[in-house]
Amino acid sequence: MLLSGLLEAARLLLTGDQDTWSTIALTLRVSLTATVVALLLGVPVGTALALGRFPGRRVLLAAANTGMGLPPVVVGLFVTVLLWRSGPLGEFGLLYTPTAMVVAQMLIATPVVAALAAAALQQVDPDFLLQMRALGATRVRALRALLAEARLPLLAVALAGFGAVVSEVGAAQMVGGNIQGETRVLTTAAVLATSRGQFALAIAFGLVLLAIAFAVNLLVTLAQQREARSSVP
Amino acid sequence: MSISCRGLLVVDRGRQRLAVESLEVADGETLAVLGPNGAGKSTLLRALVHLEPAATCDELLLDGRPAARPQLRTAVAAVLQRPVLQRASVLDNAAAGLRLRGVPRARARGLALPWLDALKIAHLADRPARTLSGGEAQRVAVARALAVRSEVLLLDEPFTGLDATTRADLVADLRAVLDHSRAAVLLVTHDRDEAAALAHRTALLLRGRIRQLGATADVLDAPTDLECAHLLGYTTRFPPELTGRAGLLVARPERCRLLSPGEAPARDAVVVPGTLRRVVPLGGTTRVDVDTAAGPVAVLTTAEVTAAPGDPLCVTVDARDTRGVAAPGDLPVE
Repeated sequence: MLLSGLLEAARLLLTGDQDTWSTIALTLRVSLTATVVALLLGVPVGTALALGRFPGRRVLLAAANTGMGLPPVVVGLFVTVLLWRSGPLGEFGLLYTPTAMVVAQMLIATPVVAALAAAALQQVDPDFLLQMRALGATRVRALRALLAEARLPLLAVALAGFGAVVSEVGAAQMVGGNIQGETRVLTTAAVLATSRGQFALAIAFGLVLLAIAFAVNLLVTLAQQREARSSVP
Repeated sequence: MSISCRGLLVVDRGRQRLAVESLEVADGETLAVLGPNGAGKSTLLRALVHLEPAATCDELLLDGRPAARPQLRTAVAAVLQRPVLQRASVLDNAAAGLRLRGVPRARARGLALPWLDALKIAHLADRPARTLSGGEAQRVAVARALAVRSEVLLLDEPFTGLDATTRADLVADLRAVLDHSRAAVLLVTHDRDEAAALAHRTALLLRGRIRQLGATADVLDAPTDLECAHLLGYTTRFPPELTGRAGLLVARPERCRLLSPGEAPARDAVVVPGTLRRVVPLGGTTRVDVDTAAGPVAVLTTAEVTAAPGDPLCVTVDARDTRGVAAPGDLPVE
């Protein structure tokens, strides 16, 4: 069974099967977009959580940590309710579109990014910002230097965010609807194939999914390791 | 450029941590602020660059003119107690101060290199900063601050945590660098030898207040009260009831010695009888604790000590090595 799955995967990829490639492209588009948006939102939030001195900081940090374990199905349900035709955002007609999937996956990844970014920045020397400013840096420049200092752990944060969304199926299914050629991604395609008993096809999708995750991680990890080892970054 | 402040107050959670009426470091001058741990030295340094949120200051002047925050930021560079380096090469770290001030990378590296040379770490330029020893890292931190050629340089105990040899080397090298600089330098330290080696003038900071201020040699040799005496190493006390003289006398323990049996004390010398409590060998010197009628007296000597605990003996110190200080209202705990 596994072998036939492997063969089927090879056939789908090598023969340039239109459906498979559009599914892969959509998977990458949705998950990468969601990850980028989650980074844009989550890193500033994580920075504030790590460095800020405001009441409720610890409660928010605990909330972000809890959010790391947010079940995708719950997020999917929440977004579906919001986007439902008669729901508060129903007039935009976004349900069962890739945009809705990006929104849902972004909601899944943002707490992951925020909590891990906060942890990454707290690893840096607590006097780092003070020293940078004592050398004449403006607040903004000092903050940029801090983010640059934590670039390797922040890269790992991006990986964790991408990993969380590319592998989830609940939210993609609920808000995307698994429509062939429109909102079908690798996870939902694998679920559908499995439910139809097309195990070889399902395994093929699973393998492609693994390959994508591995390729993205390999790229980033190589960059990370090269940087960590080189003396002059 | 000179830097001065007036009416500097730091009140943290209702507790006054620092109150400095006025302080000035002149162009090209090095001023040491000498104080024990917790005296408010680092707070003072941070307040001078507006990095102490609890600080208020009536006036903060650069060259006699009120300085706004951006001016202060460009004029001043500070080295913190611990060398906080970036994950980068030594040269890039030395260039970081310039980079943070907007100098392009290649130019910043070019400008920073001579300072690595001046601090004798040019051979480490390409090494990752994380692989450095404590002394090397501290040299990088100093080079980084010097490289921005700021007009005011603030140094917060830059030699803490270094072993004696490394520290002496760095002090000597820093002295050579500062001799060629026109910067006003404020050095915060708890070590009077560092002040003696580097500073033209010295201020004694105790419990948030400047207690003495003047030429380094004068201040280090003339404590006005018991706390300052303690800070300056005049730790051996001779109360009036022991010496029969007016007022409390203090002396450096290394200037005190034990009177040999049958030896006549020098004229004018302070002589105090007591019994030997213990002898502690400290490598090059020996510490001798003697119990007297008015409490323990410590002597540091290089001579061989033959007396045994319990033996009666006399401690002596030349009159010129004693200092009269204000009577203790509040004796610091040893």
